[in-house]
Amino acid sequence: MSGLGREIGVQRILIVEDSATMRSLLASTLEGLGAAIEICEAESGFEALRCLPRDAFDLIVTDINMPDINGLELVSFVKTSAAYRSIPLIIISTEGSERDQAKGLELGADAYLVKPFDPDQLNRIAGELLEKRRGEG
Amino acid sequence: MAARRSRVRSRRSKAYREFVSEAEEVLERMRADLSDLADQNDAGAEVDPESVNSLFRSAHSLKGMAGMFGLDGLSELSHHLEDVLDGMRLGRVALDSPAASLIDEAVNVFVAELGSLDDPKTPVEGSEAVAELIGRIDSAVREPAAPTDALTGLDLDPALLRALTEYEEHRLRENMRRGRNIHLVEATFEILAFDEGLAELSVAVREAGEVLSTLPSPGAAGESQIRFGLLAASELDTDALRTRLDFPDATVRGVWAPAAAGSSPAPAVEASSDRAVAAPEAPPAADPREIESLKSISDTVRVDIRKLDELMNLVGELVIQRGAVNSIARRLQAEPATARIGRELEKIHKLLDRKIQGLQAGVLEVRMVPLRQVFEKLSRVARRLRRDTDKEVRLELRGADTELDKLIVEELVDPLMHVVRNSFDHALEPADERSALGKPEVGSIRIEAFQRGNHVVIEVADDGRGIDLERLQERGVERGLVDAGDTLSRREVLDLIFAPGLSTRDEVTETSGRGVGMDVVKNNLTALGGVVDVDSQEGRGTTITLTLPITLAIIQALVVGVGGQRYAVPLNSVLETMLVDTQEIQRSDGREILNLRGEPLLLRHLSQEFGLPEIEGAKPHVVVIGLGDARLGLVVERLEGQQDTVIKPVQGPVQNVRGIAGATELGDLGAVLVLDVAALIEDAGRRREAA
Amino acid sequence: MSANDAPGRDTGITGTTGNWEQLARSAAEPAAQRDEVLLLRELLAFELAGDPYAVPVERVREIVRLRPITPMPRVPEAVLGVIALRGEVIEVIDLRRRLSMPGVEPTRRSRIIVLHREDGCVAGLLVDAVNEVLRLPEDAIAPSAQGDSEAVEALCARGEEFVSLIDLEKVLDVDVER
Repeated sequence: MSGLGREIGVQRILIVEDSATMRSLLASTLEGLGAAIEICEAESGFEALRCLPRDAFDLIVTDINMPDINGLELVSFVKTSAAYRSIPLIIISTEGSERDQAKGLELGADAYLVKPFDPDQLNRIAGELLEKRRGEG
Repeated sequence: MAARRSRVRSRRSKAYREFVSEAEEVLERMRADLSDLADQNDAGAEVDPESVNSLFRSAHSLKGMAGMFGLDGLSELSHHLEDVLDGMRLGRVALDSPAASLIDEAVNVFVAELGSLDDPKTPVEGSEAVAELIGRIDSAVREPAAPTDALTGLDLDPALLRALTEYEEHRLRENMRRGRNIHLVEATFEILAFDEGLAELSVAVREAGEVLSTLPSPGAAGESQIRFGLLAASELDTDALRTRLDFPDATVRGVWAPAAAGSSPAPAVEASSDRAVAAPEAPPAADPREIESLKSISDTVRVDIRKLDELMNLVGELVIQRGAVNSIARRLQAEPATARIGRELEKIHKLLDRKIQGLQAGVLEVRMVPLRQVFEKLSRVARRLRRDTDKEVRLELRGADTELDKLIVEELVDPLMHVVRNSFDHALEPADERSALGKPEVGSIRIEAFQRGNHVVIEVADDGRGIDLERLQERGVERGLVDAGDTLSRREVLDLIFAPGLSTRDEVTETSGRGVGMDVVKNNLTALGGVVDVDSQEGRGTTITLTLPITLAIIQALVVGVGGQRYAVPLNSVLETMLVDTQEIQRSDGREILNLRGEPLLLRHLSQEFGLPEIEGAKPHVVVIGLGDARLGLVVERLEGQQDTVIKPVQGPVQNVRGIAGATELGDLGAVLVLDVAALIEDAGRRREAA
Repeated sequence: MSANDAPGRDTGITGTTGNWEQLARSAAEPAAQRDEVLLLRELLAFELAGDPYAVPVERVREIVRLRPITPMPRVPEAVLGVIALRGEVIEVIDLRRRLSMPGVEPTRRSRIIVLHREDGCVAGLLVDAVNEVLRLPEDAIAPSAQGDSEAVEALCARGEEFVSLIDLEKVLDVDVER
């Protein structure tokens, strides 16, 4: 399935966020990136861990504060796995958790956004990361 | 940014409705956590950091959502709330009662604002209450503690340490400060099936201490596996922990131990007080919240109840159309020319019938929810009442798993709360009175729910004073409900409880007013198609029994004919039907009675009930209806068979007509009125007709 | 109240204006097409005992032909009963009786106007015939004087005659035995 997606040029984004409302908002914002985008939603870090081996993702957008495993732990896992370390990561955090943001970047995330985020900014950053990934073949 | 916000803000947009629904859930969760916190404070136990953390995460969620929807006032309130809670969980702000009640207030303000959001007339937030509350919250947050130094002396991969959030770091330091051992428990699982194994391990570790962080890392054997490292704090040392966990596949490694001298190893007892013991009156067994937070990697879907109603309506329409197909099939079969086609249609109909019944059962099941949430609310109410009335009472809840249609459950909360309040207030005596009577000092209220056939029964039993029958009858006389000289049966006196405005207490109390309200409870129950019964022993206690149909949705009905009209009687209230000879009917004291196997059965002519012309001389049918213990024989002219019906409410004030529960659509017959069995039985019981 | 009329959405309004859908659409024409200075009210005009009456168009949900009405016990005489309409159960009030006129046998022109009540429910009014949608300027509508029937809240001047505007709150309010 993922192989076919690659040929057609569809890119897949994984959203990891425990709040249903926020998840829908993220999904509807990212849909603005265009038709060649497929969005998968995970409502927890654990679910994200289960999604990863099933599909090939081109971008992960994750919240930091979640029960079970938090966003930072997810970033750490992704960046230390041979299979997934090349996937770009955007972390979404809240104002005031600068230390967490810094850690996220340290652990290997590519960008962070602060809630409430500006949807245009999210799409701009996501677009750039996806573009770069497309270029890498 | 402003333009985007106004799009999302549209009150009817799907995202907005999701927001409101999720916000309500979050607030409910906060209430539950605050209640736990209160318990822990009351019991003098060390506060469970998970409660505080959960409150923090809730405030955090609210802030994020309110921000996205441009609700600045609410966003600011939740921001401050989040700050206080962050301060609490990081140990900077004390977790005492004043702080907790501040948060409680904030939650209430939130709920109120959320409620008024739907009303286009009220200005959206920015109210004074919000601003004032924020001011008070601000002053509760103390200065941040001195900057903390790096964590040293831990035999841990620095990569693991880096992945800890600020909160997790704080918990680590805190546990180290308290002289607990820090361990790393690692295990490897299959990546597609790690849930259960991990849940089991986490629960086991939690029982021995606290899980500080769960760290996933790639499994050694490659992509199909995943390794989880649980950073844990415990009173036990490495060997003891390993033995206690009893997980041969997991490795336990000590990461840090308190220095032998200088640290004060807390006595083993403290380990158990760390987990606050659930208050005795709290509902079902071990609070499985830990297990839930892992399992909420959900197998469940959150559904808007309106969607379920739509589904239910559709299924209802399907059921009715299937009935029409059946009658067409029969008509076709009756004609020789079309008999063969008729038989084929009949076959298809049978298939359809099975499938539709399956669908119906499925949709009904989806609507069923357990009573647990209602019970939890009742626990909280009881807790508050204990505090307000200063009475020692134990609340025993049984049958939380009993399921009912979601709509019924929602309507049950108020009447149940009222009954519980009544018990607290009127029935239960203060401790000294109780011990003087030889009763245990702690009063008890038992709420038990179970299924009985097509109904669910909920009993609320207290061991208090019981109802003073004499006083009650006196009150009845005062109110003109009963004549002074009348002799009433015990049951009749007890039933006076349900008359409006009656109470055997003289003072208005703060908690439940004048005791007025059992009539409201009764009305609520009747609206749901149920009944309330009361039984009481003076000095021993009172039991209120609520009987409810399991679902309001599709029911089977018996269609009867009288006076040229048709009526539908809900089948689950029909005990039997029979043909009678008018000679068998006896008259006594202005009423008609039938001898039913030795027992007298009160009869009521439906034609008289509704003022319809009755055909004389025909052999009448008697439909015996019953609810709870009461029985009534309805006299009708014709029985026209069973039908699946979906009861629809009649819109407008006409829906209050006594004796009619609603109407259903029966093919080309149009609307057929559905009888309110409870009302008919009750009225007949009370009526004394002129011969 | 014969069962001859087939149930369904066909409303069969007599008059030159065609079907209800068209009427509703024309009633919803944007304000820009009208004279900006005048505020126009849209009213659904119908007949009762030969006299013209009207109700505000925005309160009308639909107009249906007569269908079997199931009588309700314990209701005032003016409430004829209920009908089933696409899964909903709606009460039907005989406007004649409500206005203290004698009731009559319905004819082929009789219709039930389904209206929105203030509390959100719907209710039906049985009338002799439904005619058309009127567009009248606001100043052609005068609140009715004392002494007129209390169910009529205003009189609307249409050419030579006056059309009585029904006070829906009063008419749709029904007292039932509890």
